[in-house]
Amino acid sequence: MKFTTLNGLRAWLDRLAQEYDLIAPRDVDGHVLYRPVGSSGEILFDYERPELSAKDYLLPATETLLWVEKRGSEVILEEVLPDRRQVLFGLRPCDAHGFTVLDALFLAQDPPDLYYRHHRERTTLVGLACPQMWDGCFCTSMGGAPDDPTHLDVLLREVDGGYAVEPVTEKGMALLEGLALEERSQKPGFSEKTQFLRPVEVPPPERWRPLFENRLWMRHGERCLSCRICTYVCPTCRCFDVTDRVVEERAGVTRIERIRVWDACTSTNYRRVAGGHNPRPTKPERLRNRFYCKFCYYPEDFGPLGCVGCGRCIVSCPVDIDITEVMRDVAERSGG
Amino acid sequence: MSTNGANPMRPYLGRLAGVRDLATGIKLFQIELAEPEGQATVADYKPGQFAFVSAFGAGEAPFGVASIPARGPILEFAVNALGHVTHTLHTLEVGDPVGVRGPLGNWFPMGEIKGHDVVILGAGIGGAPLRPVIHTILDNRADYGRLTIIWAARAPDLLVFTDEFDEWGAAPDTEFHVTIDREHSDWTGNVGLITQLLEQVNPPSDDAVTITCGPPIAIHFVTLTLKKLGFTLDQMLTTLEARMHCGIGKCGRCNMGEKFICVDGPVFWQSEIAGFLEGFL
Repeated sequence: MKFTTLNGLRAWLDRLAQEYDLIAPRDVDGHVLYRPVGSSGEILFDYERPELSAKDYLLPATETLLWVEKRGSEVILEEVLPDRRQVLFGLRPCDAHGFTVLDALFLAQDPPDLYYRHHRERTTLVGLACPQMWDGCFCTSMGGAPDDPTHLDVLLREVDGGYAVEPVTEKGMALLEGLALEERSQKPGFSEKTQFLRPVEVPPPERWRPLFENRLWMRHGERCLSCRICTYVCPTCRCFDVTDRVVEERAGVTRIERIRVWDACTSTNYRRVAGGHNPRPTKPERLRNRFYCKFCYYPEDFGPLGCVGCGRCIVSCPVDIDITEVMRDVAERSGG
Repeated sequence: MSTNGANPMRPYLGRLAGVRDLATGIKLFQIELAEPEGQATVADYKPGQFAFVSAFGAGEAPFGVASIPARGPILEFAVNALGHVTHTLHTLEVGDPVGVRGPLGNWFPMGEIKGHDVVILGAGIGGAPLRPVIHTILDNRADYGRLTIIWAARAPDLLVFTDEFDEWGAAPDTEFHVTIDREHSDWTGNVGLITQLLEQVNPPSDDAVTITCGPPIAIHFVTLTLKKLGFTLDQMLTTLEARMHCGIGKCGRCNMGEKFICVDGPVFWQSEIAGFLEGFL
């Protein structure tokens, strides 16, 4: 295996920080979050699962789609795509998996999303394997693993005295130029004591379909608060809203920003139309939509399942709605 | 045909060429696109397609196009002032800049239904996306069988395109019927729901296709009534609306189960809708 010391890694990251926007796990007032860092000194190397996914860096929570300048009856549109290159360092494999899920919609479905594609092409993913599974994690049920290199450009694993370095893609290989690497005979892996959680059965779409009108959605949905946290922490929830914001108005010139912002299908008015009709007026119906999107609609429409097993929605939900419990309920009721 | 190929989220710039009251709270906006790419893109849009109209500063919202390209390059949209974007649109005047993103979605299969009788059922502002179908049939009258138009609104002042009723009714092999929901002092015509008028008119179902648009509840009950009159679900076309933010299948807002109204619709056969996991009502 290829090996680097922590010092070697830090020196490399410091150089990357000069050349790229470097995003890495950081302590923000006691919360572990993927955030821009100026140097390796700000980076956490020993952390659990960051509280939010990294989706903000490819599908920002708020993103400018257009600048609109209105001068009297003249309008000028300016398309903004900032030409920055970024490295996401210390990405957990489930978060990289989330990008592959988003790719299936934003890149593979015609027409591609220009903004997402722009960021995606300029981003390199350097993962750091999880040393174990954390509270709520079920990546191994969703085709992933704590040390899954599949969706990354580079995978690092902590080993005695430093890190095992596995280049996964050519892009990753290129980024590694400049990192002092040694060959070691040791093989990275989990210790025998590492606890893996028991996998959850993932019922395929056809087993969800007959349960659409089942009362189980009442049971899970009636306690939902419509707070939307599950969708905001999710690496694959991608719904967005588009609106205009007047930024400046003076001397006959109005500057308007057309922005898109994250949205959530669990919010009360999500499907409500201007006349007042709401085809999804109850919480059970909206929560059902979120689960069906992940396990039925998304795979049928775009290929991959819309869940990577990061477990964030489970630990974030204020009323303990647990996606794995829902999966078990569906598996049991659909004769699994 | 689709919207801006370079960036589907960028509207084409245009200008309000005309605006007139269509009904109480509803205006008809006539938009002339300014950019050559925009003009080229909308040159051959189809009946049933929709587009986003931008009121810059407020945002954009999707509307069924109410015009056809064969009658001129001006795009027409019927807009009810109900939300932020629509209220802002209602404040605009001729000459004001607007944006158009489209045409989007599928369309009524005007080729496929040639030679058949056509029954049009428009409830309220739901009549707007059906006007292109009516215009297409009237402009190509020999291509289609008997045309029956059944128009409805809650009250007389909410009927749309009243200025065209005479033209429609006088067209060859065409009958036009209109009703309002409740008695009204300004009204001497039919009173009752669109479904009652439909039963009364009782159009023959043997070689006909129906095209319905209106509030979801109207679509639902019109469908039930049509079944009672002998129509089957694969004779019934409808166009659905939803709140949308992209129109290109990305934003998630208009999903109806695994279908997206923006890219799988907005035009559907009732037989398709019957197979969907989630309903529109």
